[in-house]
Amino acid sequence: MIEFRNISKVYKMGEVEFVALQGVFITVRKGEFLSIMGPSGSGKSTLMNIIGCLDTPTAGFYYLEGENVAGLTFDQLSTIRNRKVGFVFQNFNLLPYATAYENIELPMLFNGKKGGERRQRVNELLEMVGLSPWARHRPTEMSGGQQQRVAIARALAMDPPIILADEPTGNLDSKSGHEIMEIFSQLWKGGRTILMVTHDPAIAAFSQRTIRLLDGAVQQDGAAT
Amino acid sequence: MIPAFFRNLFRDLLRQPLRTFLTLSGVTWGTFAVILLLAFGTGIGKQQMKQFRGLGQGIILVFPGQTTMTYNGLPKGRRIQVTPDELDRVRKRVPGVQALSPEFISSRNIRHGREQLLNTVRGVDVPFERIRNTIPAQGRFINETDVRQHRRNCFLGATIAKSLFKGIEPVGQRVMIEGVPFTVVGVMIEKTQNSNYNGMRDTHCAFIPWTTYMTLYGEKYVQNFIVQPSDPALSKQTIAALRNFFGGRLGFNPLDKDALFVWDFSDFERQFNLFFTAFNIFLGVIGSFTLLVGGVGVASIMLVVVEERIREIGIKLAVGAKRRAIMWQFFAEANCIILIGGAIGFLLAALLLTLLPAEQLEEYIGIPRLNPLVGIVTVLILLAIGTLSGLTPARRAAATDPIVALRK
Repeated sequence: MIEFRNISKVYKMGEVEFVALQGVFITVRKGEFLSIMGPSGSGKSTLMNIIGCLDTPTAGFYYLEGENVAGLTFDQLSTIRNRKVGFVFQNFNLLPYATAYENIELPMLFNGKKGGERRQRVNELLEMVGLSPWARHRPTEMSGGQQQRVAIARALAMDPPIILADEPTGNLDSKSGHEIMEIFSQLWKGGRTILMVTHDPAIAAFSQRTIRLLDGAVQQDGAAT
Repeated sequence: MIPAFFRNLFRDLLRQPLRTFLTLSGVTWGTFAVILLLAFGTGIGKQQMKQFRGLGQGIILVFPGQTTMTYNGLPKGRRIQVTPDELDRVRKRVPGVQALSPEFISSRNIRHGREQLLNTVRGVDVPFERIRNTIPAQGRFINETDVRQHRRNCFLGATIAKSLFKGIEPVGQRVMIEGVPFTVVGVMIEKTQNSNYNGMRDTHCAFIPWTTYMTLYGEKYVQNFIVQPSDPALSKQTIAALRNFFGGRLGFNPLDKDALFVWDFSDFERQFNLFFTAFNIFLGVIGSFTLLVGGVGVASIMLVVVEERIREIGIKLAVGAKRRAIMWQFFAEANCIILIGGAIGFLLAALLLTLLPAEQLEEYIGIPRLNPLVGIVTVLILLAIGTLSGLTPARRAAATDPIVALRK
C-alpha cells in the first residue's frame, strides 16, 4: 500500500542544509495501524507530510498503491490528497468561520460532487462522530474533542483508504483523547490503513505496529519483532 | 458547487465589513468620477455645438477668387467677379438656397463726438440678420427700405456701441463713418461667437445697407456672400449647384475650386465633433486613472487578505484543493469588490445626474448625459481593472506552500 525506498529529505536554509530524513525504507500493508514515535526533530512530521503528498522527497522512491508519487505535479498530488488520504492534525486545522457542516463538506467541494450527494455524506459523517446536533456550530463554540471529531469526519469525507494523524490527541485531555482513539480503532477495524504520529506510549498502544525514528532514520520497526 | 462558491465568496467579503466597505468605496468613487466626467464631457460638447450653430447652422460662405483651370479657350488666372445682379439670379434659379446676403467688409473711421475708432464696417442685406443671428437688443436691423433707398442708417455691435456712446442711448443718435453722417437704428445683443472671418467679431462691427456701401465706397463687385441652404445636410449639393450656376454665367470650370472659394460650416461641424470625441477620450482617461487608483487599493488589500488567510489556503490545499481553485477564489473576490463598487458608483452618478438642476446649468456646460456609450466604456474599464487587480493576489495565493501555511 505504502512503500518507501531509500527516501531522503534535505531542507536548504541558505547555506545550511538540514537533513530531515535519510535513507528511509518503510513498507505499510493495507489495513495496518501504525504509530510513528521519536523525539522532536527526528523527522516524524516530514515523514507524514511525504506520505500525505503535502511534501516531496529529495531522493528515493515512494509508491502509493503501486504508483510512483515522486514525479507527479502539484495538482496531481492535490487529487491524491483529496481521494486517497485523510489528514487529522494536532491543532485540528478547521476553518474557524465555517460551521462543522461546512468544514466536513470542504474536501467534496474540490472535486465537483453534487449537492445532494454532499449533504447525505456530511450528515452520515456527523452521525458517525456523534455531532449531528452540532452541525451549525462553529469550531470556536466547540470543545477540543468535538473539534477533533469534526476534523476526523472531514478526513473521511472522500472515503480515503488511508488516514494520517499527526499527534491527534496532543491538544486534548486524556478522556477526549481516548474517545478519539476509540474512533480510530473503529476505523481501523472497518478496514482503513491508519498512520499516526505520537509521543505518548499509551496512545501508541492502540496501534498494531510502532516505528521509532531518530535523526531522520528508522531506529526500530515494530514489524520486525 | 457553484452556489457554495458564491456563498463562501460573500461570507469572506462580509467577514471584515469595514475594510470591504472602504475598499469598495475607492472603486465606487472612481466609477462615479469616470461617469460624471464622460457625462459632462458629452453635455459640454452638445452645448458648444449649439452655440456654434447659433451663429448660423450649416451656413456657406462664398468668396469669388481666381481661375486655375482653362475653360472653353479662356486662360487660367482670371479674376472671378460677382455683381449684385448675379446674386439676384442665384436667388431665383439655384435650388436649395433659402436665404442669401452679399457682404462688403472694410476698416473705417467711426466717430461720435470726441470718440473716434477704426472699426470694421460691413455692407449687408436684410437676410443677414437671420443667417448670422445679428439680433437687435434695441431698435432694429437694416430693413428693405434702407437697402432700396440707399439710406445712411447703421446697426452697431454691442461693444462698439458701448465704446462710442458711453452709456448714452445710441438708437437715434448720429455717428460719422469716414466723415459721412449715419443714423443708428439698432444695437445688437451681446453674443458669444467662437469663430470669425474677415475683420472683427460681430460685436465690434457697424452694419450698413450694402447699397449704401457700394455708392459711398465705389464698389462694383461683392467681396463675398453668405448662403443659408434649405437643408444643411444637403450643403454639398447646394455648393455644387452654385458652382455650376456661376461657372456657366461667368465662364469657369465648375470643378475649379479656386474660382469660387467656399467655406462650408457643416464640414466644420464634423471637425468640431472630432475634437469633442478626443476631448471625451481625454476625460475618460483621466477618470480611468482615478479608477485605477481604486483598483490598486483593491489589489493591495487583497494581498493583505491572502496573507491573513494563508492558513485557510493551507487547509484547503491539504484537503485536495487544486491551485486553480485557490486562484479563482481570490480572483473572484477582487472582481466582486470591483463590480459591486462599480455598480454603486454607477447608480450614484445616475442619481446625481437625474437630480441635477440641469436647466440652470445648461447655458454654461449643457445638460450632462448618461448615454449608453458612457455606460459601456465604464463597464469595460471596470472589467480591465478587476482583472489587473485580482490577478496578482490570486497568483500569490495559489503559489502558497501548504506545509509552510499550516505551520503558521
